[in-house]
Amino acid sequence: MSCTVHIPSPLRSYTAGAHRVPADGATLEEVLASLEGRFTGIRFRIVDEQSHIRPHIRFYVNAREAQELCAPVGAGDAVHVICALTGG
Amino acid sequence: MALSANERARYRRHLSLPEIGPAGQQRLKNTRVLVVGTGGLGCPAALYLAAAGIGTLGLVDFDRVELSNLQRQVLFGTEDLGQLKVEVARERLLALNPDIEVLVHALTLRADNVCEVIEDYDIVLDGSDRLSTRYLINDACVLLGRPLVTAAIHRFEGQAMTYIPGLGPCYRCLFPQIEEGAVASCAEAGVLGVLPGVLGTLQANEAIKIAAGIGAPLVGRLLSYDALELRFTELPISRRDDCLVCGEHPDITAPRDIGPVCDSATLTARRLSAIGLRDLLASAGPPLVLIDVREPREFAAEHLQGARNIPLRELESRLAECAGHGDPVFLCRSGRRSLLACAIALRGGIAAPGHLEGGLLAWAAEVDADFEVASD
Ligand SMILES: [Zn+2]
Repeated sequence: MSCTVHIPSPLRSYTAGAHRVPADGATLEEVLASLEGRFTGIRFRIVDEQSHIRPHIRFYVNAREAQELCAPVGAGDAVHVICALTGG
Repeated sequence: MALSANERARYRRHLSLPEIGPAGQQRLKNTRVLVVGTGGLGCPAALYLAAAGIGTLGLVDFDRVELSNLQRQVLFGTEDLGQLKVEVARERLLALNPDIEVLVHALTLRADNVCEVIEDYDIVLDGSDRLSTRYLINDACVLLGRPLVTAAIHRFEGQAMTYIPGLGPCYRCLFPQIEEGAVASCAEAGVLGVLPGVLGTLQANEAIKIAAGIGAPLVGRLLSYDALELRFTELPISRRDDCLVCGEHPDITAPRDIGPVCDSATLTARRLSAIGLRDLLASAGPPLVLIDVREPREFAAEHLQGARNIPLRELESRLAECAGHGDPVFLCRSGRRSLLACAIALRGGIAAPGHLEGGLLAWAAEVDADFEVASD
């Protein structure tokens, strides 16, 4: 199952600048694993080693917030990864 | 005070709008707006607020105008280099609209002055460039019951949201907290000059709506803007019952300094818990590059097997020695110096430096009770 992941600006260095990348998986956890397979290191910027979503990151699946990595993701879904920005 | 003939002429295009009209314009005149940071966001926001006839504008900034500001900070000109930003801004805004009052606060907001500054205003715009200041302002606005329009930018992306007391979530509901650290300066990621123009103007738009009492504010919604693709995305944000400041049982009842957090290092450093590091060390893969940034005396007392000692003060010049398989993991006594080391490594081009959160003290507490952590 393939979804589209929207990558926040601070993480685009991992995706060669891509704003949106396709990923596979039936849950956010699997989607992250799929991303990690192509963009080494990106997962650790999003979740910590206890697999907790980092406090400056928010996930949305089809514009609904997903607070757990077990949240389901369907084919064609849009996954937004939102990262706190600081610049002014 | 009622609008003068001159003011009625100046604001004619507002007065023609039934949603604003003379009563709305009078409300704008009676409103006091504080703009925190006269940088990329604050400059366009303040220009439009002044032009719109917001009666009192407050400007907070401690910085002076630098050449690299002029690419986006549209209140300043080449002849202003070296001047205090708030003073130049005040002059420009009064030249644009002499009927308003502009108050300057050439200071850094801290826990002990933030309420004093904010309580004199009706609406606050946050255009600061530090996370620590963003939390400070959010907390003060929640505690004082002031609407807050916040925006932030990075490279080609911007975000905005509005907090209105009692109506929706605050900034901490969105991003509860960022861990503390202490890093002096932050790496520059770069920003498209026009990007803060878009976001700062949106902030002014929100403040004017709130002041005039019209429209639907950006409450409970995070607006994300991608300048490269020219795409606005809106995502819902809920109020959290367990929010540290606006929740049912708030932890924060007075503003508190969270220290000079280095935003870029805090956001990008890989954070390892003691348990996480133990598991990584025990896993099969290639050996981790462990760099202990304590002083040689501390290192000599006891150190992790395989760790190499590069004291923090020498790190910048010895960064090349951190090369190995994968990016380095920095260690120190408490996690403070190792976070500083991450910032130095990021500036030096290392993409994903890591550090042991809580330092070797955490290691001794959670993994190896026999580990002797020398005092620093
Ligand atoms: Zn809150």
